[in-house]
Amino acid sequence: MAGVKALLVAYDPKDFPELAEWASEAGVQPVYLAVHEAAAKAGDYAAKLGARVYVAETSNPGSIAWAVEEVARREQAALVAGEAYRNLRDALSRVAAALEAPMATDATKAEVEGDSVIVERGFLSERAVARIQLPLPAVILFLTRFRRPSGEPSLGQGEILRLEPPEPREKRVEVREKPKGGVNLEEAEIIVGVGRGFKSKEDLKLAFELAELLGGQVGCTRPIAADLKWLSEDHWIGISGKRVSPKLYIAIGISGSPQHMSGVQGAKVIVAVNKDKAAPIFKQADYGVVADLYQFLPVLIKKLKERMGKA
Amino acid sequence: MGDIVVLVKASLNPELVRQAPDGSVDVRAIPLKISDIDRNAVEEAVKLKQKLGGKLVAISILTWGPVQARMKDLRLAVQEALAKGVDEAYVVADDSITPGDQVTTASAVKAVIERAGLKPDLILAGEATIDETTSQVPGRLARLLGYSYVSFARKLDVVDGKVIAERDLEDYIEVVEAPLPAVVSVTQEINEPRPPTLLQIRRAARKPIRQLKAGDLEGVTPPKRKILEMRVLQVKRKQVIIEGASLEEVADKLIDLLIQEGVLKL
Repeated sequence: MAGVKALLVAYDPKDFPELAEWASEAGVQPVYLAVHEAAAKAGDYAAKLGARVYVAETSNPGSIAWAVEEVARREQAALVAGEAYRNLRDALSRVAAALEAPMATDATKAEVEGDSVIVERGFLSERAVARIQLPLPAVILFLTRFRRPSGEPSLGQGEILRLEPPEPREKRVEVREKPKGGVNLEEAEIIVGVGRGFKSKEDLKLAFELAELLGGQVGCTRPIAADLKWLSEDHWIGISGKRVSPKLYIAIGISGSPQHMSGVQGAKVIVAVNKDKAAPIFKQADYGVVADLYQFLPVLIKKLKERMGKA
Repeated sequence: MGDIVVLVKASLNPELVRQAPDGSVDVRAIPLKISDIDRNAVEEAVKLKQKLGGKLVAISILTWGPVQARMKDLRLAVQEALAKGVDEAYVVADDSITPGDQVTTASAVKAVIERAGLKPDLILAGEATIDETTSQVPGRLARLLGYSYVSFARKLDVVDGKVIAERDLEDYIEVVEAPLPAVVSVTQEINEPRPPTLLQIRRAARKPIRQLKAGDLEGVTPPKRKILEMRVLQVKRKQVIIEGASLEEVADKLIDLLIQEGVLKL
């Protein structure tokens, strides 16, 4: 008999290979549920996952919760896992209550040990790491993109089963796409981060020029996206925004609040440019330049161009 | 309109993380404060009470013990809610359920509502608390009570017995309608919380804070989650300030260092 039965909930198609690889490493016996955009790819993945794939074509958290409870009951799953999208935080918190199960979110690692699961996750705005033990049945939400899978699964043909959730209490009456800046920060190797040190939206072109020169992308702090709306929200890095792990993060005019810095802990090297010598960012950076960004950036751009032979 | 309940947590303050000599987090030495996003929830609850009427009640379950050492911080957190316009508060503080987990908290909130005979039409909470950031308690509570649940609301109104809210998701905004009674979790974008005035703070001192123990309540689930270890993340950054006679020199040095680090290729 294989290990613990785990219901793996895919919300985005990218979740399938990530969750599948985790399942084989953790030695759990997986069954899948595909919802939201993952539902459209369920057929492709059923042919590769060698496991049952349930499909519920819905993005409504109430309906997702219903489907998860339904499959968990049918399959006698002791563990429910997915990635920490907002709709899954919503849906799985309801499921956890229904199962009277403990739940861990934003997990970076999880291992099944006997009749419990040991999870590692950030704590206190990422200033600490906790190892916690949850007795089964339990619910886990991994950080989105918590691992880079080595490839697509090739576990043989699985079976597709469709579910029709009943009407939820909460009904969508309108949906508006968020404006996108065409960034994909999670996959960027170099990110230039901008903060309140910039005095106007137009001035951000300095950061964009630097990012383009380096083949990188532009990210920002909460005020730039949420309050000033100088950039669309897909640029926003931090606790309510994105968590990124580029090779190089260049923070420009950013003071270094814990809310923002928690999003860049995964960066290999952090550079800070700030005119305030006492800014907390310098204690959280590898290399600091104490200078006015308006003076330093043009010089840095010029030097880079010279050395790239573009001057 | 029935009562409105708002959840308030005295959270560990992440700005004041304390480290024990062995590198673990010294949880007992970290002060508690009202979780930032709870301020937005309170602000929104006061606004809705003004529009809809009814009694506004704050409920706070103490997660981090020991009770005796935490009562002052817990009362301060709750008093801030009272000063901002909440009518009365219930706090549950009991060392038999600390350190609590989200199973405990949600079951305890439900138990308080029942014990106090509250009939809330609306329960508001922050989208997450600043110490654990799990976003679980509102959803759990909705499921336990059989209420509608609307999460991550950045705009909220109650019209004709229905909640109408804008949910803020990763790639889109979704307007949803849900019948009362409902639990709603709010994001920081929903409003700009105003600090209470001195007069409000003084008046709040006369508002009742009712303190309960687990034994006063029925159906409180003891914590299931066990914290095995909590380590402070060491700042491993080099913290080198690059200096030079001119900005040109600084820029050259920076570029050289980044090439050496292998993070920049020209």
